[in-house]
Amino acid sequence: MQEGRVLPARQINRDLLGSILYSPRWFWGAVAVLGLIVMGGFAAAGLMINQGMGVTGLNRPVMWGFFIVNFVFWIGISHAGVMLSAILRLSKAEWRRPATRAAEVLTVFSLMTAMLMPLIHTGRPWRLVYWIYTIPFIPYDFARGIWPNIRSPLVWDPSAVYTYLTSSILFVLVALIPDLAVLRDRTTGLPHKIYTVLAMGWQGNPRQWKLQIIAGVLLSALILPVFVSVHSIVSWDFGMAIAVKPWHSTIFAPYFVVGAVHSGVSAVAFVMIILRWIYGWQDYIRHEHIDALGRLLIVVATGWFYFFVMEVIFGFYGREADEIAFRDFQINQPPWNLWFIFFVGLTYFLPVAMWLASSWRRNLWLMSIACISVNIGMWLERFLIIIPALAEKQLFTFTWYTYAPSAVEITIVAATFALVSMLMLLFARVLPLIPLYDVKEGDILKTEIQIGRRTVPATFRED
Amino acid sequence: MAVRPILGLFEDANYAAEAGDALKEANIPEEDYDFLTDAPYPEGAFGEREERHRLYVFPLVGALIGLTIGILMTSMTQMAYPMVQGGKPIMSLPPMAVVTYESTMLTAIVFTIIGIVFESRLPKTKQGLYDTRITEGYIGVLVNVEEDELQRVYNILTQAGAVDIVRDQ
Amino acid sequence: MAESAHHSSDMWVFPRSAEVTEFVTRKTFTRPGPVTLAMALTGVLLVLGIIGFVMKAAQHGFDDHTPWGYYAAMFSFVFMVTSTGPLAAAAFRITKSHWRRPLSRVSEIFGILGIFNILLFIPLAIVLPTLNNPDVGHHELALRRSIWFEGPIGSPLWWDLFGVIFVGINALALLWLSAVPDMAEAYEKATGFRRSLYGMLAGFWKGTKRQWLIHKAGMALLGAWYFMLLIFVHFIISSDYGQSMIPGWKDAIFPVVYSLSGFQSALGLILIIMFILRRFGGYQEYIGISPFWSASKLLLAFSLLWCYHMFSFGITYWYGRTELEQNVLKYLLFGSYGGVFAGNFFFSFVMPFLVLLWNPVRKSDWGPALAGASALIGAFLFNIRIFVGSFNAGNVYGEFITEVPPPVYPGLSDILIVIGGIGGAAFIYLLATRIIPIISLWEIKEGLLYQKVDTFIRGRYLVLAKPE
Repeated sequence: MQEGRVLPARQINRDLLGSILYSPRWFWGAVAVLGLIVMGGFAAAGLMINQGMGVTGLNRPVMWGFFIVNFVFWIGISHAGVMLSAILRLSKAEWRRPATRAAEVLTVFSLMTAMLMPLIHTGRPWRLVYWIYTIPFIPYDFARGIWPNIRSPLVWDPSAVYTYLTSSILFVLVALIPDLAVLRDRTTGLPHKIYTVLAMGWQGNPRQWKLQIIAGVLLSALILPVFVSVHSIVSWDFGMAIAVKPWHSTIFAPYFVVGAVHSGVSAVAFVMIILRWIYGWQDYIRHEHIDALGRLLIVVATGWFYFFVMEVIFGFYGREADEIAFRDFQINQPPWNLWFIFFVGLTYFLPVAMWLASSWRRNLWLMSIACISVNIGMWLERFLIIIPALAEKQLFTFTWYTYAPSAVEITIVAATFALVSMLMLLFARVLPLIPLYDVKEGDILKTEIQIGRRTVPATFRED
Repeated sequence: MAVRPILGLFEDANYAAEAGDALKEANIPEEDYDFLTDAPYPEGAFGEREERHRLYVFPLVGALIGLTIGILMTSMTQMAYPMVQGGKPIMSLPPMAVVTYESTMLTAIVFTIIGIVFESRLPKTKQGLYDTRITEGYIGVLVNVEEDELQRVYNILTQAGAVDIVRDQ
Repeated sequence: MAESAHHSSDMWVFPRSAEVTEFVTRKTFTRPGPVTLAMALTGVLLVLGIIGFVMKAAQHGFDDHTPWGYYAAMFSFVFMVTSTGPLAAAAFRITKSHWRRPLSRVSEIFGILGIFNILLFIPLAIVLPTLNNPDVGHHELALRRSIWFEGPIGSPLWWDLFGVIFVGINALALLWLSAVPDMAEAYEKATGFRRSLYGMLAGFWKGTKRQWLIHKAGMALLGAWYFMLLIFVHFIISSDYGQSMIPGWKDAIFPVVYSLSGFQSALGLILIIMFILRRFGGYQEYIGISPFWSASKLLLAFSLLWCYHMFSFGITYWYGRTELEQNVLKYLLFGSYGGVFAGNFFFSFVMPFLVLLWNPVRKSDWGPALAGASALIGAFLFNIRIFVGSFNAGNVYGEFITEVPPPVYPGLSDILIVIGGIGGAAFIYLLATRIIPIISLWEIKEGLLYQKVDTFIRGRYLVLAKPE
């Protein structure tokens, strides 16, 4: 159902470019606060590099801790963008219009943030150069005859993430061109010059629009398989190992992908609610959009739950001693058991129960709670997959240690949330987070069908 | 004689379409006029010509190049550093497939982007005749005609209901 | 003012509302020559299948499960396709997709095969080995690996049987509820058996506002429930008759692959039936290209997902390097059933992918049907590979598969059973189409209210409205 009214183009420009043309008073204050937290994170990382990894809670056998959990989490969030934007574009869902750009931009920033985590985790981030080779065609250190070992999933990881990041950035940029032209026409001075260069001489003739529309669909179709591969490959960082039994599961790849979509779409719904609130975009991000996201989330959450159940059942299925020991550790032993209850409740039962009622889906406070709940749950999920599996006492484990994150790790993780928020705000300061032309197109295509005494909203379509 | 642009601005899409009809009746070739809008209208909404493009070739070519590079890169690096791991063959197809897949998709997407920009005839170093009111919802009918035809086209656009007409200075 | 059409004329079709009932019921009540021939042929196949079954039972009895591999594969194939069939109607109705309308009843009629599936399942329920090892030997498990672990009461036999029964009942309920308005409408035009059947099943229907509301809510509930039930039953059937029969095979993704094969092959078969109806059944006015175009994108997605899930399984086992994992790969993928897997991979992924990659092919009726036929063959080979393989993998109580057994080729009775099962299913489906209109009358008429072609500036475009 389309609930919004048709707005004149001038008003759409004024409303949606408001965040760029008229900076709100709170803006720089908010950026400063977030920036301070980010600085705190960098300081903590600097301390860690200076003092060594001993300042973290990492110790044998738990050598993957908060950083890797957070890496998987942000990769997961990045799946929101393309999932929403691509699938809704391909299915021609009308309600996608205000959501696509914010989702795509969230993808880009969360991917960038995710990539910071393994770099920090290495403890020697300057060794980045050893990872760069996975930008295809640029092998590293070939002078010494050393070549990337493509049999290691740790090599697939950057290749997939860089592919996804490059594709997502290009996708965002191409879709921005028409809106850059609007900005070019509405600005003066240096910003005008910059937007003029970026708009590349866009006129808005039928050929350009046709290519723009095809681009949206074609790029969606091309990026979708990449997005599936990214989190699959992240899961194979774990799944290809046989030493840690619970990770060696055939279902890990789709289980991770669906989980990522679940957390990502929830994050987008939350971001949209925030944008509506801070920029007053009530006419654009309407209750119907949040409602539709809520309905979509019921399906995604239930899909995730199915994969989760399969993963757990087949964990027990083999009846192997070390696998049973891990499951016992994860589900029965404190403190993991408590986290496990929180994880399942927050990820599935609480939010889905809230989404079932239409009136709850349309209540933005309740939707926010549900979406935050999902993301807390999904963060815990990654934590419970990684940490207990490593902390489990295995045969020939000569030393063990129960992982507890240090203040350094907590600070860095907190800083990543601030970083993504700050980057989103800064983006909104220079580029529109809701695609203007998409909203205008939706308005142009709106029509009605009369059925007896009832007028039903309808849309013109080419096929 | 030089070709000069003239731009009629319309508040109503139907009037812009009428201008298109009138230009067609006046035997102005279809490739000499364009409709400039701030949002995509359905194809053919103004009775304009159908735009042909070859965008679909770009991802295919890109994918083929990426596939070739992916296969070469994964096979040659493995052969260049032939270390047996886990009893698996040096040329192991499953991991090769993963990296090759990524290189194929990346190149396909990059080529698609190039194709979009190229087929959209962008970037334009000189934008040509344009009016910023177009991005405020006005519909521009941009006509490129011989200088001696300018007045006739001016009249056509005016009669069709143009609220303003912009000429090249 | 020059207007031009910017939607292809056969993409969406608009039959005249007043003629829908007359046309479709006339088609339903008559039995043209090709349909009679097809019914006779499939009827003969069914009889051959029964002969094959009797031969097999007489030769091997029901004490040992191993000779029943091809029977299990046939059952699984028929069950996988026909039980998933009704899901298409239910799912696309929930997503309010207008293009689904000509496809709904084609999909729902598969519900009638619920009874056939229950009958087919009974011999399998008898031959399934118990969870408890009756005679525990060296390197054997006292309780074989299964999704039932310690084995709650009646597992796995009764749970599987109840699962198949509930799926059958639910599918029948969906079909009945959906067909009630149509049967009530066709009542006036029907005679004899059809008339009394319509009277019995839909005599109460008056088409009041309240009845329509309950009808709509009922179908949404039954559809959502069916989806969850079906996924669960796919899980238990594929695990009990496939995975747990190969000692040590632990593969969490297998039930997902099974369900995906079901979605893909059922949608494929629906597209084949739609193609036949459109090209040869005289339903051009009722079935446009739109359902083919939209469903083909889903078919393409299912084909890609199938490949992705198989790769996910394959690479995890390939990296696993344990003897068990290597043996499972050799047995099911690259060794004993390597040829079948190659066919499975080609028909389930390569061919649908290559066909459906092209938009002009997706925008035809033959392209999606061709890809659908390929997916159907792929699903058949999938079931042969898995279930013949699992029924002949050696000692089901073994700790893990220690050697790679050779493939088992079909005997005469196996061939008769397979063609008989598939022929029987086709026969029952054809029979049902003579009683229940294969085009959902009420859904087509409802769709006509919400779709039209209208002028926008200079072009003619489709207008779609969505009821809330």
